[in-house]
Amino acid sequence: MNSSQHIRSAFDRDLDMIQAKMLKMGGLVEAAILDAAKSFESRDLELAQEVRARDKKIDALEAQINEDVTRIIALRAPAASDLRTLLSILKVAGNLERIGDYAKNMAKRTNVLLQLPLIENSPASLRRLAREVQIMLKDALDAYTQRDAEMGMDIISRDRDIDELYNALFREFLTYMMEDPRNITPSMHLHFIAKNIERMGDHVTSIAEQVVFVVTGELPGEPRDKGDVTSTDLDLSQG
Amino acid sequence: MKDQITHGLENSVTSTPSKISATQVNVHYGDAHAIKDVNVEIAPNTVTAFIGPSGCGKSTFLRCLNRMNDTIDICRVTGNILLDGEDIYDRKVDPVQLRAKVGMVFQKPNPFPKSIYDNIAYGPRIHGLFKTKADLDTIVENALRRAAIWDEVKDRLDAPGTGLSGGQQQRICIARAIATAPDVLLMDEPCSALDPIATAQVEELIDELRENYSVVIVTHSMQQAARVSQKTAFFHLGNLVEYDDTTKIFTNPRDPRTESYITGRIG
Repeated sequence: MNSSQHIRSAFDRDLDMIQAKMLKMGGLVEAAILDAAKSFESRDLELAQEVRARDKKIDALEAQINEDVTRIIALRAPAASDLRTLLSILKVAGNLERIGDYAKNMAKRTNVLLQLPLIENSPASLRRLAREVQIMLKDALDAYTQRDAEMGMDIISRDRDIDELYNALFREFLTYMMEDPRNITPSMHLHFIAKNIERMGDHVTSIAEQVVFVVTGELPGEPRDKGDVTSTDLDLSQG
Repeated sequence: MKDQITHGLENSVTSTPSKISATQVNVHYGDAHAIKDVNVEIAPNTVTAFIGPSGCGKSTFLRCLNRMNDTIDICRVTGNILLDGEDIYDRKVDPVQLRAKVGMVFQKPNPFPKSIYDNIAYGPRIHGLFKTKADLDTIVENALRRAAIWDEVKDRLDAPGTGLSGGQQQRICIARAIATAPDVLLMDEPCSALDPIATAQVEELIDELRENYSVVIVTHSMQQAARVSQKTAFFHLGNLVEYDDTTKIFTNPRDPRTESYITGRIG
C-alpha cells in the first residue's frame, strides 16, 4: 500500500480488505497446488477429494473480489496507484482462480491414475515441478505486498526454469510411451498434469507482471523467452 | 522537479504551435510569492485543466492569461506570456481588447441585470463588432446556440438574464464570453455552483467549444478535470508540479505530490 494515508480512511480500509482477500485466495491456491501433488504422490484419494472440494472456496473469493472492485470503482472513482491496485487485484484474482482450477484438475486425475499402471519416478518429478511453481507463486504474492517490481521481474525470468523442467518431463513421457504401448494412457494423464503445472507457471508470471504494473504503471515490455519448446520443436517430439 | 516540468513540456509540444506560451512566470502579491517560475504551453483546440489544493496559485495563474491581475494594485506579474506569439503584457496591448480575445467565465454565474439579449450583445457593442442590427442579432443567436441554450431562451430574449436557473445563467455567461469571438476561454470553477445536470450540460458544452477555442479550466473537482480535459496541470504552493496528458496524470503521475493529491492522500 501507499505509505501515506487517505484523507478518507474508509477508502484505506477498503483497499486493505480487498488485498487481504486476494492474499487469502493466494494462500488457498498455494495449499491446493501442494496438496494436489501430494495426494498424487502418496496415492491419497481423500486428500485429492478435499482439494477438489476446496476449489469452491477459491471461486467464491474470486467472485467476492470482483464485486468489491466493482463497488470501490463505482463509489470512490480511484485514480493513479489506487486505480492500478484495484485493476491488478482483479487480474491477479483471475489468475489465481485459473491456477486453482489446474490444481483441482490434477486432483481429479489422481483418481484415474491410481487405477492405471504406475510410471516410476513420475509422481516425485511432478511434485518437484509443483513445488517450484508454488514457491514462485508465494514469491509473486510477497513481491505484490511489498510492491517490489525488481522481485517481480526476477519471478518472470524464473518461468523459464519451469518450462525446462516441463520439457524434460515431456521427453520422459515420450520414452515411456515408446517403450510400451500400455504406458500410453497413464503417460498421457501424467503429461496433462505436467502441462497444467506449466500453465500454472504462466499464470504466476502474469501475476508477477501485475506487480510491475502496480509499481511502475507499465507492464514489462520485452516479450520473455519461451522455455516451452514442445509445441515448436520437432526434434523434441521425435525423441 | 525541473526535469519533470521540462518533460511535461516536451509531451505537450504538438505539430501545431501553442496558443498560449508562458515562460518563467512569477506573481507576487506584495511580499507573497504566489506563482513561482511557471512554464506552460497551452495547445489550440484543447481543454487544459488546472488542478491543485486551495491557495496553490491555479486561479492566480489563470488570471494572468487575460491580465485580470492588472486590476489588483499589489499584484506584480513577471515573465513572458505569449498569445499566438505576441506578448500580452506588451505596452501596446490594450487589456480590454485582450479580454475580448481571451474570454472568462467565473465561478458564480454573473449575468448583467439586463435582458438576455443585452447580456450577449454587451461585448460586441463595446468592441463595435457589427454593422447592422441584423448582424448583432446573428452574433447573439450564434453565441446562444454555441452555448447550447438557444432553444431554452429564444422566445424570451427580452426577459432578464438574472431570472434564469443557475445552470442557464452560467451558459448565458459562456455565451456572453464567446460573443466577442475569443480565441481562448478561461473558466474559473464554472460548475461549482451548479447541480449535476447543469454541470453535465456545461461539461458537454466545454467539449464542443474545444472545436473552436482553447479552453483553460480551473476546477476543484478532479473528476471534472478527468472528464473534460486533454491536458492537466497540477499546481502546488505556487509551483507547477506536473503538466501532462490528462490520462497520464490520472493513471500514472510522475511526481509523488501529484499522486498524493489526486488519490486524496495527505502528502
